[in-house]
Amino acid sequence: MKVTIKQWNAVAQWQWDTGKQDDATDGEEDVCGICRNPFEGCCPTCKVPGDDCPLIWGECTHVFHMHCLLKWISTAASKSQCPMDRRQWVTAERKVAPSGR
Amino acid sequence: MSSVYMRRLGKELMDIQCDGLPEGVRLLSADNMQSWFFTIQVLGQSLYEGEVFALEFRFDNSYPFSAPAVLFVKDRTYAPPIHPHVYSNGHICASILGDDWSPSLSVTAVCITLQSMLASCKEKKLPPGNDTYVRTAPDNPKKTRFVYEDDTCDPLLCVS
Amino acid sequence: MASAALRNQVATKWQDAFNRLNRGQPGISGLMGFSEAWSVASEFLYPKDLGDPPKDFNVQHVKAAFDVLIQCRTLPMLLENFVETMRQRQYLITRDVEAFMAEYENSNDPGIIAKLTLRLCEWYAAWAPLVELGQTISAAYVAHFQTHVFSVLPPTFAGGFKALISATLAAFTDPESVPDAALVQDPNLWQCFETLGLTERYEALISSVCYEHIENHVTGMCAGKWDEQMLSKLREWMADKVVPWMLLPYARGAKTAEEARAMLQGVGSRFDFHVCKTLCDLRTKELFDIIIDYPESAAALQDLKECLQRVDQRSQLVQSLRKANKRRLLHPGADTKDILTQYVSIIRCLRIVDPPGVLLYKVAEPIRRYLRERPDTIRCIVASLVGDGESGDSLVDDNEPIQPLQGPQVDDYMDPNWDPEPIDAGPDFRANKPSDVISTLVSIYDSKDLFVKELQVLLAQRLLAVADGNYDNERRNIEILKIRFGEGPLQVCEVMLKDMTDSRRIDQHVQQQNPSILHPTIISRHFWPSLQSSKLTMPGQFKKIQDIYAKEYTAFKPDKRLRWLPHLGTVQLKLELQDRTLNTWTLDELMSRVGLTERTASLKALFAWVDRGVLHEESSENFRLLEQAEASTVPRGAAHRPIIEDEPMASTVAQEQAAQMRVYWRFIEGMLTNLGQLPIERIQSMLKFAPGYDQTQEQLAAFLEAAQREGLVTFSQGCWKLHR
Repeated sequence: MKVTIKQWNAVAQWQWDTGKQDDATDGEEDVCGICRNPFEGCCPTCKVPGDDCPLIWGECTHVFHMHCLLKWISTAASKSQCPMDRRQWVTAERKVAPSGR
Repeated sequence: MSSVYMRRLGKELMDIQCDGLPEGVRLLSADNMQSWFFTIQVLGQSLYEGEVFALEFRFDNSYPFSAPAVLFVKDRTYAPPIHPHVYSNGHICASILGDDWSPSLSVTAVCITLQSMLASCKEKKLPPGNDTYVRTAPDNPKKTRFVYEDDTCDPLLCVS
Repeated sequence: MASAALRNQVATKWQDAFNRLNRGQPGISGLMGFSEAWSVASEFLYPKDLGDPPKDFNVQHVKAAFDVLIQCRTLPMLLENFVETMRQRQYLITRDVEAFMAEYENSNDPGIIAKLTLRLCEWYAAWAPLVELGQTISAAYVAHFQTHVFSVLPPTFAGGFKALISATLAAFTDPESVPDAALVQDPNLWQCFETLGLTERYEALISSVCYEHIENHVTGMCAGKWDEQMLSKLREWMADKVVPWMLLPYARGAKTAEEARAMLQGVGSRFDFHVCKTLCDLRTKELFDIIIDYPESAAALQDLKECLQRVDQRSQLVQSLRKANKRRLLHPGADTKDILTQYVSIIRCLRIVDPPGVLLYKVAEPIRRYLRERPDTIRCIVASLVGDGESGDSLVDDNEPIQPLQGPQVDDYMDPNWDPEPIDAGPDFRANKPSDVISTLVSIYDSKDLFVKELQVLLAQRLLAVADGNYDNERRNIEILKIRFGEGPLQVCEVMLKDMTDSRRIDQHVQQQNPSILHPTIISRHFWPSLQSSKLTMPGQFKKIQDIYAKEYTAFKPDKRLRWLPHLGTVQLKLELQDRTLNTWTLDELMSRVGLTERTASLKALFAWVDRGVLHEESSENFRLLEQAEASTVPRGAAHRPIIEDEPMASTVAQEQAAQMRVYWRFIEGMLTNLGQLPIERIQSMLKFAPGYDQTQEQLAAFLEAAQREGLVTFSQGCWKLHR
């Protein structure tokens, strides 16, 4: 038997590559440590997820909605520290982890 | 404008109801998004064995970018613990409620911190300068700038 | 023996009487005169039979005789005598009455009653003393004659008289229907009634005849006739036909038209009221069907409105329509769509009848409560909102302008146009000032979030079903709905549409880099209704194609990855078969091979291939690939198979709510653990802080009751607590 695909309209969800294994996100999904919304949702000030409400990766490996982190960093109280580990926040160059693929 | 972040409180309440609170902490009421009440007690051996305190959390629009105002309740039922970092009006001198606050902290995290602050207490005594502070303290403890040191507190009063 | 005194006394009395009768005339000539006068008067008054020849009296002569009797103060005696003779002669009248009544009882012809009354009048005339003889005699005569007549009329007379009155009225309104109209229209007839005192005696009966006549006419003319305003016609009929008749009983003795009008005013108003009440009753009874017929029946509703202004039948209308709705609409056999359609018609119709909306408010309440309990109400409303073609007539009038939903309005007492609410409004009534139908429907529920959720599900189904990449319809619908619901709630739908266009753009890019047969729709989770997940593993080339595409995608969007939803989407395959090894697979083997866990889904998939002659079911749940078409293996008809329920691709709102409530159960459980026991209002107000919580208090109550049945919670003294 030979099967030829003529046309395929599939459905997929996009998700941020936060460096975690694919399957791990199935149940407990990652949320932003500041707004507690899922990464694939958007920060409280945005209405459209994805490229319009991107994530920001720190060198400390912590990830947040970019808008949430920038809002935190802009407060004097933050002292420009990562909310999770209180290290000085340094945005990672590009977090394209060739993870588990 | 940052009130959209208040939705985070809703999520926290949801988590509290679903996943529970740390042992020794119980929710008294959370009927609105301005103030919540908890009871807190120290588990195991400590100077506060058998004592139950009440905590009030006050939130405003800056939450979670700024800490909630947290204080021990002083009324007919509850009294603040006698502790070197707790003034007799209920105000608390704890760094995570001031300089060390981070938006990744939460109501639960604050409760745990305060629980361990009480648990690790070695001597029941009021903070130095308690009387002076209590006489002049603002209603909102967040208006006080505390200097956090290991064993002593030094409130620098701030004009509101 | 009589004493002298006594004798003297008697003599004095006798002398007195003598003097009175003799009137001081010489000798006994006065006495003689009296005797003659008495005999003339008695003779004159004697009630003679109708057949007797008329007696010839000289009026002057008779009057003179009466004068004598009056002077002698013996008139009372004469009258007594007259009455007694009338009584003795009564049998003459009785004979006639019996004859006529026997005839009437045989024929039931009201004409006979007419003849009888005319006859009685003849008797009356025959026995009547001269008017000139004075008021006293006439009055005594009338009273006694009427008493005599009434005493001999049998009980059946009242019925006959009623029939006669009825005929007189019918002779005015519909002369054709009366056999001997001339007789009942005899102008003397009403004079006779008057003379005999029948008009007065049967006053209530006469008006009841008119009431009944009005009722029959209104029912006959207006029942089922809803396309024309009838009230004005009825009033014309009253003026043209009934009022001329009314002049007879009600404007007796009017000398001028002006006087007649004044006399008719009161009774005319009562009859007009009756016209309105009868029409109002009729329309109230017909209202359910009038509403079904709307807008053809708009005229009937106008009538009803006018009648209600005259007759206060509002609460009857509410009761009656509520009853009809309950019996004919709010039962399990009725389609939700039909209930909604009728509800919308009720809204429109009652707005005509009662613009302030009190009637609507009272009638609508049970319908709204019932609709709230139906699981597919929201879906129906939403389908109609987006103009779902298959659902037939849209609930929304295309001419109605699209406008934002209106919330309950708060009275603005500063508004100079503010009016107090109608008196029968009741405390809960909120004048829903002219709000559109959609707002009214949406307001069945406390929260419009439910609509947005259902809309999301519907939109998801449609978007994923769109094959040609044309989403203009959906986009237009969303734009319209934005006007109604506002931008905010429809944000998720915006994202869904954006996902569709983004998918196309991304696909164009990927195709340029690495052409693929695969064209995925890439969606943003959290913004689509929860699509059931699947653990299906794509076999061989399918997996390869997916992987290549996913890699291209990540190259284009470096921070993102794709997660396939293999159970969704469509694929066109070409199968080339030739004679080769025959493999048989059991269902369970197949399922474990592709990682499917849903038995029904797997069976369904396999049967799809059996239907196409690719697979053959060797034995129950044992399949063989047919490399060569087998003529003998005509696909088994679907009838032999177990029926496999289609699972909807996106879970319905109802399912989702159930799932959601399970999440909230933990919330409630935590709340009750922490706080002991709580009244439902408190639970609801705390749940409101939970993200995404949109259940109404009623839904929460239903949920808690279900939890109680499962023994999870108990309810006492108004509070819920955990069952331990």
